Amino acid sequence: MTYSYIKPRKKSFVTSELKLLFIFFFITIIMLLLTYMFLVFKSYSFKQEHLEIQNTKRDLNISLHKMNEDIKFIEKQISVSKKIFTQNTVLKDSIANMFDLVPERITLSEAKLLENGLILYGITPNKDVYNFMLQAPLRSIFHNTYSSFYPAENGWLYFVSKNYIDEDETTLKEDD
Amino acid sequence: MKMEISRQNLYLLILSFLLLLFVLIFSFFVLIPHGKQYRKERVQIKKEEKELKEEQKYNDKTKTTLKSLRSENKNIISAFANSFDPKRFKKLHDGYFSELEILKEPKEGEQDGFSVYSVKATSKINSPKTFYNFLDAINKTEWIISVNFPIRFKKEDDLISSSFTMKVYSNMVDTNLTK
Repeated sequence: MTYSYIKPRKKSFVTSELKLLFIFFFITIIMLLLTYMFLVFKSYSFKQEHLEIQNTKRDLNISLHKMNEDIKFIEKQISVSKKIFTQNTVLKDSIANMFDLVPERITLSEAKLLENGLILYGITPNKDVYNFMLQAPLRSIFHNTYSSFYPAENGWLYFVSKNYIDEDETTLKEDD
Repeated sequence: MKMEISRQNLYLLILSFLLLLFVLIFSFFVLIPHGKQYRKERVQIKKEEKELKEEQKYNDKTKTTLKSLRSENKNIISAFANSFDPKRFKKLHDGYFSELEILKEPKEGEQDGFSVYSVKATSKINSPKTFYNFLDAINKTEWIISVNFPIRFKKEDDLISSSFTMKVYSNMVDTNLTK
């Protein structure tokens, strides 16, 4: 004879409520651990990224330093070459001016262009032509001018004209 | 009134309390410090990334400058890199002179960080204009050359004999910056 309409169930310690609670506990712990793992992983990846950035920065600095050195060197090359090109052009103009200075009546036989002077050898019909047409302009350019003459076979005069720039005076003028 | 708690409920209560304790301890002593560290590191990385980007930008700008400098001054750079060849020089500039003799002096010097050696030239020209043309051409030649004093011109029959010294500038041997 039975006193209940349902069959008796086996009683267990883990009831359905307890199971639900365990699942809740489990999910909570899993979420906490996942968050922790995420943070640990991110920390590791940040460290890796930091190292990578540092390496890239170091490489960039090396390359930048090398490029700056190259730029400096090329700029130096440009400045030196420009200086030389200007020197050559100035030299060309100086020689041209020197030849333009000589009047038609005077014939040059030799010219020496020095760092600080000019020596001219030539022949002139007379001293006056030399003095007015060559020595006067030379005197306006050079600080010291020395001339010597000796007679030529045709009655003209050979001359040697030595002209020098006083470098100290030039430097002083430049300083002013 | 007596309150009765079943054994099962008691276990549940204890377990819940332990879980809460674990959550609190774990959060306060592990998660929050790690979280703070994470935020700090993220800000730091963002800052470093920004700096890196700027450095890369500056690097690219410098690279462009260098590239344009190189292309604009190709001739000057190669002229400094070329070593002087008297035969080639004579071949290139023979047209300006009736006669041209080049003598390269073996002793090298240094000026402005460049290797400099002297070359003595003796030549015969038809007129001073030829020499001016030579001086114009020397600025466009394959080497960096300066013509220096003393320069001597002497009349010899219908020609003018000239003698002058040239200085040839080139890169120092150990310099390989522009290569």
